[in-house]
Amino acid sequence: MKVVFFLGVTILGALGATAAAAAGASPALLGIALAVAFLGLAGASAAAAIALHAPDDLTEPRVARGPTHPPPLPRDGVSRRVFGRLWLGALGAFGVLGFVPLISLARKPGRRTITGWRSGLRLVNENNAPIRHDMLAEGGVTTVFPQDGVDLPDGPVVLIRVSPDVLRAAGDAGGATPNGCIAFSKICTHAGCPVALYRHQSHELYCPCHQSRFDVLNHARNISGPAPRPLPQLPIGVDAHGYLVARGDFDAPVGPDDWYRPI
Amino acid sequence: MMVRRLAAWLDDRFGTNAVLHEALVKIFPDHWSFYLGEFALYFFMTLVGTGIWLTFAFDASPQNAYPSVLELANRAHPIGYVIRQIHHWAAVCFVAAILVHMGRIFFTGAYRRPRELNWIVGLTMLMLASLTGFTGYSLPNDDLSGTGLRIADTVALSVPFFGRWASSVINGGESYPGPLLLGHLYTFHVYFLPIAIATLLAAHLGMLVYQKHTQFDRKPAVVVGRRLWPDYALRTIAVFGATLAGLALLAALFEINPVESYGLYHPWIVMDGAVPDWYTAFLEGALRLGPATEISIFGHPIPPVFWPGVVLPGLTFTFLLCWPFIEQKLTGDTASHDVLDLPTQAPWRVAVGSALIFDGILLTLAAADDQTAAALHLRLETLVWIYRILLFAGPLVAAIIAARIAGEMRARVREEVEYPSDVTTLVRNADGGFDEEEPQPA
Repeated sequence: MKVVFFLGVTILGALGATAAAAAGASPALLGIALAVAFLGLAGASAAAAIALHAPDDLTEPRVARGPTHPPPLPRDGVSRRVFGRLWLGALGAFGVLGFVPLISLARKPGRRTITGWRSGLRLVNENNAPIRHDMLAEGGVTTVFPQDGVDLPDGPVVLIRVSPDVLRAAGDAGGATPNGCIAFSKICTHAGCPVALYRHQSHELYCPCHQSRFDVLNHARNISGPAPRPLPQLPIGVDAHGYLVARGDFDAPVGPDDWYRPI
Repeated sequence: MMVRRLAAWLDDRFGTNAVLHEALVKIFPDHWSFYLGEFALYFFMTLVGTGIWLTFAFDASPQNAYPSVLELANRAHPIGYVIRQIHHWAAVCFVAAILVHMGRIFFTGAYRRPRELNWIVGLTMLMLASLTGFTGYSLPNDDLSGTGLRIADTVALSVPFFGRWASSVINGGESYPGPLLLGHLYTFHVYFLPIAIATLLAAHLGMLVYQKHTQFDRKPAVVVGRRLWPDYALRTIAVFGATLAGLALLAALFEINPVESYGLYHPWIVMDGAVPDWYTAFLEGALRLGPATEISIFGHPIPPVFWPGVVLPGLTFTFLLCWPFIEQKLTGDTASHDVLDLPTQAPWRVAVGSALIFDGILLTLAAADDQTAAALHLRLETLVWIYRILLFAGPLVAAIIAARIAGEMRARVREEVEYPSDVTTLVRNADGGFDEEEPQPA
């Protein structure tokens, strides 16, 4: 009886889900109808299983799958030594050959980071519009890119404007900071996440991925968290039209290190 | 009638009915914990079914991946929405079901001889399932998964000597995100990994049937349980229905991975408080607790992510893969076991398992240490140090406590067997009456 009821629920649920899909009903309705159909199936089979009153202590023998000791293979004059060593050697040779296509897949381990920055290049926003030296308010922060290079993954720079007095008190933070503007690579030296948060009271950049903190007034030194080294600084200046420009590339490699990048 | 005729047709040509009969009357031991692996099986079947549909709706090219997901799976497209939601929920449940099933295998000693190989196959499927999940949720090219991919690329890059090669192969270029990255993820997610899982699954079940299932019933010479047809078949259909019903409800009521709110991936954008799917969170937690020191070998740097990102999971999985053999060495027990232990029968095994579970949970929690620190009004640095200390001290304490509890429970069971509280022996005395005898050890 219960089985009949649950099978009825299944049929209704499945047809209901079909109707709901055909009528373009909301996902919630469609999902619930599906759940009803499958719950009916579960209920019907569970009820049928219980109604069976089948014994749970039936037995069947376990067969020992131990060592079987088959007769030795015919040798037919092939000595074990030749068969073992040489054939294994041939297999090994193919194994070595197998590395050729594997290694050939890799691009030459050359320079991995293409920042796009060079001297005289303007700093632009994500719409490729140049940034004036007085655009940012003191304490303000924004993300900038090399002109015509918004898509370069290692190019993004976090541009911060600090009060020139604070900068001077901190020893000018390494120079190249026109009008209190200071620029660091936005790519964390730990795992490559964007260092997206700036705390302007403490002048700290903060990476939301693994919580590394960098001191903006002290060469973006890593002061906390798992980042192994400071954020590279981008030397900047102002061109004749008042726009911010790079004075060169970053002062250190961008992003995380790897085996081939010398310390 | 149709089924009978089809069976007769096949039997006529292949002689299949004898095999079929043998399979249908096969006895399977029955215990609620033996159904845990079946949940994993049905999650996998659901993933394949919904996944095939998704391949027809998804565009894996870098420019179109994100918009095509938004189009196939928004609320205005309820069929696609529900299918993608079921797919993602099934993925996170799949890994969870494998882990819970593995816990049952571990704590009952089911991996012991002759089933060591099936433990290794199962553990490999766990790793492949996590990898399939990761490559899958990275396909939409949204900002959350793109950031996760960049971290994964950094971890791959950190491997001494091979790192740059591995990263360049995966990316199909010399920097992240390479032009072929999404295509590679798609190939792995849709072909290699699921086919590998399906193959290992066949081996897993084949070995299970061939070696026969373990049981709690202490009769080593026979399998004690229920017949496959119709008794056990009905039960497993019920498990299947319950699995699908649960997934449909989750999909209908709780949205998972709302990529539309994450936006397209940009290397310079990241959300605050972002965490990955739960089964990769332990790696994220390990990265947060890891050291900041970069050491150098022959002038080559070893980036700090190498230790938590490669060495830690590598050592953990190697230890787990070798565990059946380590246990044999430690206990000297190399006998075959078809009868399962109760967890309490092996307190030291409970200790090892508890230590592993403790660190697994701790590292997973560490993946949200910033939110936890904010909620507890702790300095983040303080919490990181608490976690670091707990990472090494916690498993020891957890192991000792767990072993003590298991030991006490075992002692109580023994006491019960040796001095049954409800059994007394009556002894005839010299006067012809009966006296109660003091209980004696059995």
